[in-house]
Amino acid sequence: MAIAEKLAEFRKIADNPKTQLEHYKSKGMKAVGVMPYFAPEELVFAAGMFPAGMWGSNTKSISRAKEYCASFYCSLVQLDLEMLLDGTMDGLDAVITPTCCDTLRPNSQNIKVAMKNKMKVIFLAHPQNRFPECGVKYTESCYKKIRAELDEVSGHKTTDEEIQNAIKVYNRSRAARREFVKLAGAHPEAVSAVMRSGVLKASYFMLKDEYADKLEALNAELKALPASDWKGVRIVTSGIICDNPTLLKILDDNKCAIVADDVAQETRSFRCDAPEDDADPIHALAIQFRNQDYDILLYDKFSSQNRRGEYVAKMCKDNHADGLILFMQQFCDPEEMEYPYLKKALDAAGIPHIRLGIDHQMRDFGQAQTAIQAFADVLD
Amino acid sequence: MNTLYTMGIDIGSTASKCVILKDGKEIVSKSLVSVGAGTSGPSRAIAEVLENGGLKREDMAFVLATGYGRNSLEIADKQMSELSCHAHGAHFLFPNVHTVIDIGGQDAKVLHVGDDGNLVNFVMNDKCAAGTGRFLDVMARVLEVDVGDLAGLGAKSQVQVEISSTCTVFAESEVISQLAKGTDRCDIIDGIHRSVAGRVGGLARRVGVQPDVVMTGGVARNCGVLHALEKELNTEIQTSPLAQYNGALGAALFAFEKCR
Repeated sequence: MAIAEKLAEFRKIADNPKTQLEHYKSKGMKAVGVMPYFAPEELVFAAGMFPAGMWGSNTKSISRAKEYCASFYCSLVQLDLEMLLDGTMDGLDAVITPTCCDTLRPNSQNIKVAMKNKMKVIFLAHPQNRFPECGVKYTESCYKKIRAELDEVSGHKTTDEEIQNAIKVYNRSRAARREFVKLAGAHPEAVSAVMRSGVLKASYFMLKDEYADKLEALNAELKALPASDWKGVRIVTSGIICDNPTLLKILDDNKCAIVADDVAQETRSFRCDAPEDDADPIHALAIQFRNQDYDILLYDKFSSQNRRGEYVAKMCKDNHADGLILFMQQFCDPEEMEYPYLKKALDAAGIPHIRLGIDHQMRDFGQAQTAIQAFADVLD
Repeated sequence: MNTLYTMGIDIGSTASKCVILKDGKEIVSKSLVSVGAGTSGPSRAIAEVLENGGLKREDMAFVLATGYGRNSLEIADKQMSELSCHAHGAHFLFPNVHTVIDIGGQDAKVLHVGDDGNLVNFVMNDKCAAGTGRFLDVMARVLEVDVGDLAGLGAKSQVQVEISSTCTVFAESEVISQLAKGTDRCDIIDGIHRSVAGRVGGLARRVGVQPDVVMTGGVARNCGVLHALEKELNTEIQTSPLAQYNGALGAALFAFEKCR
């Protein structure tokens, strides 16, 4: 199959999460919604259930969720609740609600109240201090609780071997995504920004073994392409999420290739693998969380050193990017708080950047189009 | 050598502006229609600029569209972002310009312009009407004055009144409260001008203010906002009677470069 057809298949999956949910349910599988960020999705897979990623929607408007949410909740969180309320996610048997930010935390309780007996709501509070041994132990205790709750949902007691197998599958899928990001950056004429997003987003709506098979096949074809002679500009994207095809098409129209990303929904979600040689798979998953770094959603006791800002600046340099586009989620406190530090690091490294405010409910991107076109002119 | 005519058209949110340049140096015709994208404004502005200059479309070597409605103009040979065009236009009018503050109908932007007139860096307002021409339109309506009279009335202010610079809707409520308290309209208008200046001044400081500073866009005609911005940024700000045509002028200049 040609590369374009493979990309189109991923794009179709990314655009039809409900179809995917129905597909797995029709096979008799139970399904568990997995909200951002850093949920141990491996446990859902190990329990033989379908983990359905929940990253808002680019086609829905917030209506019913307003009954529960303050207006300054970001659209991602509000739309997750909206989809739980309007029937979109009715196929779910449970939902995992991590609480990495000040909006996810109260919303986990909104979901609990709103879902009543409709589905099991599994609360996840990662530790603030994840590095010391006590932090690892705390993460383990959270994950053990989740394991038990998932066992209740699946009606099957998950074994350590099943979790170890899930870790292997997920590590494989993460490696494939990391390789794809490099290949997409190396071949922007073959992988547009719209298609790149489709490939990465589809991972949230497929079983990861099927996804890894499919992505490895695509990667093999991309690897066989001759070296690219890209004449456009090279950018790094940053932010929580930038998956709106209309917005991404503006990048394509202005010959902006995404050569790397610092996006929570994309690379930040698959940067870290879990150890495969740990006899205790729950400990392995806790170690994986401990090893997550350079993320605005996680506590950094060395934040005064601006490690994250410098990490992103280095990412731009290492990938020979001409500039960075920050897609800032409206009302996202962690992103807004971090911006001055990111700007400082980018300015110090001589990397031009623009910041665009985005919201899942945006349908018109006139201002973003103007800014991206001008940015491309500046970088060209 | 044959004379080369190029046309720039800036289709903004509230107005359509056209400029025809002769050999990239001389403005031979200009037009302005006070309706913008999605209206008859662009076609009327084009017809008018051609008629004013005694020229036909066929006489144009290159037509370049810019502004919010740039993508929908079929007669254009190319479209470009208004940010690049404003930088170029301002450099034509003020060769020493390094900072352009452009306040249009629905957005505000601050541009850092290089010595060669090309855009180096920029910052735009968020998706919010505060600090834009729309903000002034809303306030003028509440105060029952013509937006063109705001500058003159604001200059008569005797007492400083503070108007929130964060949100058009809240600021409108504040203005209504001030009116209800019997506050002089001139004082309120002066507060509104400082409110816009505070908002745009914040944007300008993000990109850095380097002289010469030039103000363009429709709001540049309001000297009350301009003077408030000078105070806010503690710098002299220049403008031109052609301020509102600046984007179209930059587009005509780019058009000349494209066909040269």
